[in-house]
Amino acid sequence: MDFLGEGFRRALSLLLSGDREVYGIAFLTFKVAVVATAIACAAGIPTGFLLATRPFWGRRAALTVVNTALAFPTVVVGLLLYGLLSRRGPLGGFGWLYTWQAIVIGDVLLAFPIAAALSAAAVQGVDPRIRRTAETLGAGPWRAAWTVAREARFALAAVITAAFGQTVAEVGAAMIVGGNIRGATRTLTTAVALYAAQGDFGLALALGVVLLLLALLVNVALQVLQGRGGSRG
Amino acid sequence: MVELRAVRHRYEGRVVLDLERFTVTAGAAVAIVGPNGSGKSTLLRLLALLERPSEGDVLLDGRAVWSGAHRGRPALGLRRRVTLVEQRPILLRGTVRENLEFGLRVRGVRRTEVNRVVEDVAARLGITALVGRRRHELSDGEVQRVAVARALGLEPDLLLLDEPVSSADRAAAQTLYRALEEERRRRPLAICLASHQLEDAYRWADDVRALAEGRLSPVTPENLFRVELPLEGANGLKQVRVGAILIATVTDRTGPAILAVPPTDIFVSREPLPSSARNVFTGRVTRLARPRPGAVHVTADVGVELVAVVTEQATRDLALAPGNLVAFAFKASAVRVF
Repeated sequence: MDFLGEGFRRALSLLLSGDREVYGIAFLTFKVAVVATAIACAAGIPTGFLLATRPFWGRRAALTVVNTALAFPTVVVGLLLYGLLSRRGPLGGFGWLYTWQAIVIGDVLLAFPIAAALSAAAVQGVDPRIRRTAETLGAGPWRAAWTVAREARFALAAVITAAFGQTVAEVGAAMIVGGNIRGATRTLTTAVALYAAQGDFGLALALGVVLLLLALLVNVALQVLQGRGGSRG
Repeated sequence: MVELRAVRHRYEGRVVLDLERFTVTAGAAVAIVGPNGSGKSTLLRLLALLERPSEGDVLLDGRAVWSGAHRGRPALGLRRRVTLVEQRPILLRGTVRENLEFGLRVRGVRRTEVNRVVEDVAARLGITALVGRRRHELSDGEVQRVAVARALGLEPDLLLLDEPVSSADRAAAQTLYRALEEERRRRPLAICLASHQLEDAYRWADDVRALAEGRLSPVTPENLFRVELPLEGANGLKQVRVGAILIATVTDRTGPAILAVPPTDIFVSREPLPSSARNVFTGRVTRLARPRPGAVHVTADVGVELVAVVTEQATRDLALAPGNLVAFAFKASAVRVF
C-alpha cells in the first residue's frame, strides 16, 4: 500500500510545483476536449432535435444507428480514423495523423452520438404542448426550438457534460491517431496509460488527479451557468 | 375565412376526423360540441394550422395552406392569423408577464406597445395581480385565463378555444366570456370554441355544431348516441338499444354508428297519446333550460336523457317542471343515423 501513498505525495508535489510537462498535457487535454465537445454538441444537439421532433422517413432507423453508436468501441473508431488519415488513406493529404486535430476528430466521432441521442431523449421529454404553444403564439421554427431547449435546459446541460466527459476521458482513439507524442499529442489519458505502463505511478496518479479536477471544474462551471439561467419554471 | 375540405386525419392508422367541409367565416362565433374523444381538439389543431391533415385541404381566405399539391409548412404570416388555446394550456418558462409578451416579441412589436397591450389584456381578463408570478404559482383556472389573455393580446383573426372554462369557476368563466364578447364588439374576430357543455355553447355561439366520432352531426348536437345497429330488422325498421330503452329507426345500415334524435322532432305531452310515432317513452323532467329567447329545452330521463325543444307557451300549458311526469314521442323516420 506504500506505493499508493507515495504516488499521492508525488502527485501533490508535481501539481504544486507547477510542473511544465504536467500542465502542458493538461492544457492540451482541455483544448482538445473543449473543441471536440463544442463541435460534437453543435452538430449533435440539432440532430437530436430533428430526431425528436421531425417525422421523416427512416427516423426510427436513424435513432437506432445513433443509439448503437453510443457503444462504439473507441479503439475501433481510432483504427478506422487511422485508416482514413494515414498517408495512403483518402484523407491522408491533410497531414492530420499524429496531430491534436486528429484526436479532436476521433473525439467528435465518439461524442456526437452521445450528444444526438441524449438531446433527442431530452427533447422528447419536454411536454409537446410547449412547442405547439410557441408555434401558435407565432414563433418560427428556430424560436420554437429555442423555447423547447429552454424547457430542457437541465437535460441539455447534462448532454454537454456527458459529451465533455467522453472527450476528456477518451484514450483508445487518442492513442492511435494522436500517437502519444511528448509535447505534441500527449493527453492526460494517454500519458496516464504510458506512465503507468512504465511504472511511474506517481506521475500517472498526478495526471489522473488533474483529469478529475478538470472534469470537476467543467461540471461546476456548467452548474453555475444553469443556476444563472434560473432553476424555476 | 378558414375552411377544411374533404379532410381525413389519422393517428396511427385510425381515422379520428372525417369532414367533408368545415368552415369558420370571418367574425363568426362557432361552438363545436361533442363528447370526449369526438375529435374536437384534433379539429382545432388542424384549424390552427399546427397539424397537417392526413388527407384533404386546408384553406385560409380561399387560398390553399395545406393541400395535395402544397404540403410544406404554412407561411409564418398565415399561421400568425390564428391562435389556439389548448384544453389544458401550458405556460412557457418565465413569469406570466413574459408569457403575455412572448407572441408580441416574436412579432417584433415595440417595447412600449408590448407594455400597453400586456397591461390592457391583463386588466380585461382580471389577471393583473398575477403578472409577476410563475407557472407553478398558479392554479389551473388561472393558467387558463392567462392562456386566453396571451392569445387575445395577439389580436388574431381567428381565436380557437378548447374547453376554455373547464377549470374556471363561474365568476372566472363569466369574466372570460365577457372579455371575448367585448373583443368581438371592438374588432372583427372569429371564435371557434370546443366544449362539451351544450348550454354554454348555445348561450354564447351563433352557430353550434356537433362532432361525434370525428364526423359532423347532420342535426343539432343534443340526443346523440353511439350505438351498434343490428343486422336484422322488419321492413327496414330496426330496434336499437340506447341506455335502458329501444329506439326504433329506419335504416339499412349495420354495425357501429351515431344515432341522432332532433329535439324539434320530439312531441311532448303529459301522458302517451295515440299516434303514428314508433317511439314513445315516459319519464320525469330533469331540467329546463332557455338558451335562446322563446325556446325551452326540456330534458327528461326516459331511460336515457333526451332533450326536446318546445315553446314557452307549451311549457306553461303542459306545466313542465323538474320532477313532473312527461311523455316524449317521435317517429322512427325522424331518427337520423350517420
